[in-house]
Amino acid sequence: MKIHDIVLIGLLSAATTAGKLALSFLPNIEVVTLFFIIFTTALGLKRSLLIAVVFVTTEILLYGFSTWVIGYYLIWPLLVLIVSALGKKARSEYSYAILGALFGFFYGMLFAITESFFYGPAYGFAYWINGLTFDLVHGASNFVIILLLFKPLKRMMDAQAAKLQIS
Amino acid sequence: MKKKILVILAVIAAAALLFTGYQMFLAPKGTEGSKEVTVQIVVEKENIDETFHFRTDDEFLTDLLKEQQEKLGVTLQSFDFGTMIIGMMNYTADSNSEYFHFQVNGEDAMVGTDDTPIQDGDTYKFILTPFS
Repeated sequence: MKIHDIVLIGLLSAATTAGKLALSFLPNIEVVTLFFIIFTTALGLKRSLLIAVVFVTTEILLYGFSTWVIGYYLIWPLLVLIVSALGKKARSEYSYAILGALFGFFYGMLFAITESFFYGPAYGFAYWINGLTFDLVHGASNFVIILLLFKPLKRMMDAQAAKLQIS
Repeated sequence: MKKKILVILAVIAAAALLFTGYQMFLAPKGTEGSKEVTVQIVVEKENIDETFHFRTDDEFLTDLLKEQQEKLGVTLQSFDFGTMIIGMMNYTADSNSEYFHFQVNGEDAMVGTDDTPIQDGDTYKFILTPFS
């Protein structure tokens, strides 16, 4: 790994944390999904996975260690893997907006699955049902944010990647 | 751009529709009318084990706790995810080491007090519990 990759991973994970904190006053409205989709399409799988891991580790430093950490370590890299697997099949911002919406809708369910390993399926189910309205907001807001911001941010990211000769 | 705005409006409308559907069919519903319930509070380290009986028209437990705030010595704090019980019987839990565990009719509660509908004859037990 080159030095500029290490710097890039640190900076972009910090930007992701900053983006998350900036919108933290709005429940379940976030730019993290958008950022990871853009990182994966512009910088590739390996760098984006590392950004996701550093981002989650920073979250632990901010909020402490608990069972949600396992969910976080699985969910964000999973998004990166899905975007990478989609590759060129996703041709427009609409594909990514739909992916972001689905990711938001099922976010609570994915967390409920990991939580149910610790506290039992009944807790996991109650956790999921209790958060359905939050998931709805998450999915719908992801769709809108990605549809509006994917193209301009991707253009900017591609230009920077070309400048830094990142392929 | 016009197409994008139309799609966004459609998604927001669909989300609003789903939200309304959730509120109508899936969200917990309270029962109207008078109900008789029991509230028990246990703070072992302070030798507190008090039982109260209330007759109430409130539909959700948080409303009852607010109504009886003075008698139960309850301190509540609102968060994004709902209301959290910080203190009971004028004892404030140390957020680093303990919390008020909450049971409905002897079973651990699956949702918070905001989403617990009050049913006639229910017993709500709050136990100061250390983090294990």
